Amino acid sequence: MSKKNKLNKKKTKPTPVNFQNTILNLQKFWGDYGCVILQPYDMEVGAGTFHPATTLRSLGPKSWKAAYVQPSRRPTDGRYGKNPNRLQHYYQFQVIVKPSPDDIKKIFLRSLSKIGINHNEHDIRFVEDDWESPTLGAAGRGWEVWCDGMEITQFTYFQQMAGIECNPVSVELTYGLERICMFTQKKSNVFELDWNDDGIKYKDVFHQAEKEFSSYNFEFANTESLLKNFEIAENECKFLLEKKLSLPAYDQCLKASHIFNLLDARGVIGVAQRTEYISRIRELAKGSGQCWLESQK
Amino acid sequence: MAELFIELLSEEIPAKLQIEARKKIKQALDEKLQKSEIYFKSSSSYSTPKRLVFVIDGIPEKIEQKKKVIKGPKIDAPQVALEGFMKSNNLKKTNIYKKKIEKGEFYFADTKPKILNLLKEFQSIIPETLKTYSWKKSMKWSNYSLNWGRPLRSIVAIFNNKIVSFDFFHLKSGNQTLIESLNEEKIKKVSDFKSYLNILESENIVLDQEKRKKIILNKMNNICKLKNLKNKFSENLVEEVVNLVEKPNVILGKFDEIYLKIPKEILIVTMQQHQKYFPLFDENDKITNLFLLVANLSDKKGYIKIGNQKVVEARLSDAKFFWEKNKNQSLVKQVRKLKDLSFFNELGTFYDRTQRLRKLASLISEQLNLNKEKVEIASSICKVDLVSDLVGEYPELQGVMGKYFAAEQGFEPDVSLAISEHYLPKGIESEVPKKPISIAVSLIDKIDMLVGFFGINEKPTSSKDPFALRRNAIGLLRTIIENKLDVHLKDLINYSIVIYGEQNIKFKNNSITKEILNFLRERFKNLLKDKKIRNDIIEAVDVSHTGHDFLLLYKKCLIINKNISKDIVKNIIGTYKRASNIIDQELKDKKQEVSGQPESFLFKKDEEKNLYNKINEIRQYFTSTKKNESYDETLKILAGAKVTTDNFFDNVIVNDENLDIKKNRLELLQLFCKTYNNFIDFSKVEGV
Repeated sequence: MSKKNKLNKKKTKPTPVNFQNTILNLQKFWGDYGCVILQPYDMEVGAGTFHPATTLRSLGPKSWKAAYVQPSRRPTDGRYGKNPNRLQHYYQFQVIVKPSPDDIKKIFLRSLSKIGINHNEHDIRFVEDDWESPTLGAAGRGWEVWCDGMEITQFTYFQQMAGIECNPVSVELTYGLERICMFTQKKSNVFELDWNDDGIKYKDVFHQAEKEFSSYNFEFANTESLLKNFEIAENECKFLLEKKLSLPAYDQCLKASHIFNLLDARGVIGVAQRTEYISRIRELAKGSGQCWLESQK
Repeated sequence: MAELFIELLSEEIPAKLQIEARKKIKQALDEKLQKSEIYFKSSSSYSTPKRLVFVIDGIPEKIEQKKKVIKGPKIDAPQVALEGFMKSNNLKKTNIYKKKIEKGEFYFADTKPKILNLLKEFQSIIPETLKTYSWKKSMKWSNYSLNWGRPLRSIVAIFNNKIVSFDFFHLKSGNQTLIESLNEEKIKKVSDFKSYLNILESENIVLDQEKRKKIILNKMNNICKLKNLKNKFSENLVEEVVNLVEKPNVILGKFDEIYLKIPKEILIVTMQQHQKYFPLFDENDKITNLFLLVANLSDKKGYIKIGNQKVVEARLSDAKFFWEKNKNQSLVKQVRKLKDLSFFNELGTFYDRTQRLRKLASLISEQLNLNKEKVEIASSICKVDLVSDLVGEYPELQGVMGKYFAAEQGFEPDVSLAISEHYLPKGIESEVPKKPISIAVSLIDKIDMLVGFFGINEKPTSSKDPFALRRNAIGLLRTIIENKLDVHLKDLINYSIVIYGEQNIKFKNNSITKEILNFLRERFKNLLKDKKIRNDIIEAVDVSHTGHDFLLLYKKCLIINKNISKDIVKNIIGTYKRASNIIDQELKDKKQEVSGQPESFLFKKDEEKNLYNKINEIRQYFTSTKKNESYDETLKILAGAKVTTDNFFDNVIVNDENLDIKKNRLELLQLFCKTYNNFIDFSKVEGV
């Protein structure tokens, strides 16, 4: 395709949605749908799923609809701001609906059109991906949603959470916001994304953080104190569970989980030992889930 | 003639589940119809990710069931049997009568001729059939109690242009299907299969999976022909993509040639596994920068192609960055990095582990007569790629990456190869390592694992095997038998325990060697079963063998299994059983002690002496062959005693009046059996 053609095409297209408007549009869409719009959870988590509004609220019989953006930390994914696709801190937009509505797929596809993805022009595919989180003792059936070969959303029906069968079943939609915007804004570097329409780019907001946190995650995080902190969080969680305080206990479980991720990034956990750490965190998650479920009765 | 049409519309069902449901539900419907005496000419099933369709054609519009005589229970059977008979056939007391036949007196009933109400029949047949289908993987959604492969949205069921109306959990069958389009769903009325196909066709949906496959393969073959590329595609992937789309569209994509510099395994995994593309190879099997993708939509504006190319380039640019960074990072220098990589709590780090392997390397090299230095080098560096970024990104390429790094850094080819091959076999179907250095590292790697986890009592249980020790053991055994290796496992295990001790790793378990050998033995028996060797033969060989030479055990099993129905083994077992039966009988009836050795002065007949001499001859044979025993030869010798034993049985009566002579004869027979048991315990082999 010649350059000229490309330009012509651009002219007929509306300006792509900037990063902050993508979030706002999704909030508006799901808010209108009837979701409680929440703010991010104020702790370090690896994914939007870890927010208690998803993990704990997906348990028990009560209906629940919520949506929120969640900064997610994956220490091992840090690339010192040098890789155009990888970040150790990024945003997920999370929707949770319990019980799952029959027309959720249709509604989801409609939400895509609000952020600039027209599913008659792009190859939207539902590719099997039965999600599992061994740390949360969670499992679901669902798909990665691909748009022209790129994963843009995780679409999951929870079957189990914190080791407990889900009944009724919730559906969870997790939008990868940076990827979606790279797609809609036609950028091949995440740092070049337009954050707003006032010239601020993603790099202006996060590039320094990516550099510094990558150094911390990979080089300077003190593994000895992390190992200690893991134990402290674990014990605190168990103690709080004895006191039947499900939410504070779950916070400690989140802490342990993040510390584990940091230890993993520091490369001090081998394959076999991973299993052991993961099962320790799972015990905490199970305890918290059980405790929360009992509080719902 | 009439047609039954069923459509089950759901959210996207994964390819494998879809294929299975398509086949199995059809089969179940066919069977159910036949059982209900509803005949049909043809039956077919189709699927797309969202649609499962069953069409049964050529059903008579009217089916008359003729008058039939049905037989009930015997007249003296318990009352419940009669009640059951009446209930299941919908009979009243007045309908039944008694009648004598050859086997006795029975209840009978005549059914009335009736015309089947097919619509009504289908109303129960369809939901019943669907209910009995069990998915390999199923799920629940919303607050419904239905368990299905993926959320089931609607059911269309039409017989002879009329709705077959039934309830299936929360759903009600009807005649409307849904077509997804931009932001809306179109509802379409269906009257039969033909009208349904018309609806789909107008939406460019290809329902028939075979047609989709043909379309896809044709297009892919054409492109390959045009570009002079090989048209060999992974069959599994073809099968998968055929069932991932309903509007197939093949697109030729391309990535920048600079990525061809990275190892092809990375390219293949990225394209095939992660993106479900078909990587393309030139005539010399060299990978190219072209690939095929199957989209679910025609690419009118070219967005799909551009989008996919971007995705794969983004992935590859990440991989290339790491490849260039990792390939020159000296494996030898990085060994110490393994000190930071914990293997398992009590079992130390990966550094400790490779140090242990290095020591085991010298013993295995001795046993297999290999270049010790090479095995040691391979053992020291075989885990280093675990700390590389690439293996972090592509865990499935552990070992493979190490091989490439080693080759880049000038290690000898067999040493480099051992880095990737020491992980073999990766599964039941996977090949075992075949090259000497690879074999050696693979074996000691597995022994170190087994000893470590058994040492700290992290043994597999019947339901849990978190460290995959079973697979490990089977891999070890397969490597030994498939390469015909003469290894001394007990020595290796014992030495491994010593090495752990030298690293101050404390074991709680005091009988590691015994437990591992037993564990291997059990796995070995399973392996033999998988190789279709008869259970009794496995037992017979197992019981008689006290050593731990699995190759030997395997060969014995094979030869017996091969010859079990041939005269040679039949003769041996026949003779053996004849002798052992006499002893068993005697022991059972009179509790006669048969413990001593036969004394030659008590022999009264030549046949006794001859048998005694024959036995000694065979014993002589066993002591003299040992290591070099040829099992064919052994079988010949054992079978060769038949004449002598036949003579004995024909002319000597064991049950002599003189108890001493009788006891002596029994002891002679027992000696005979024991001698034969040197080979395998023939008493375990089932009758011939």
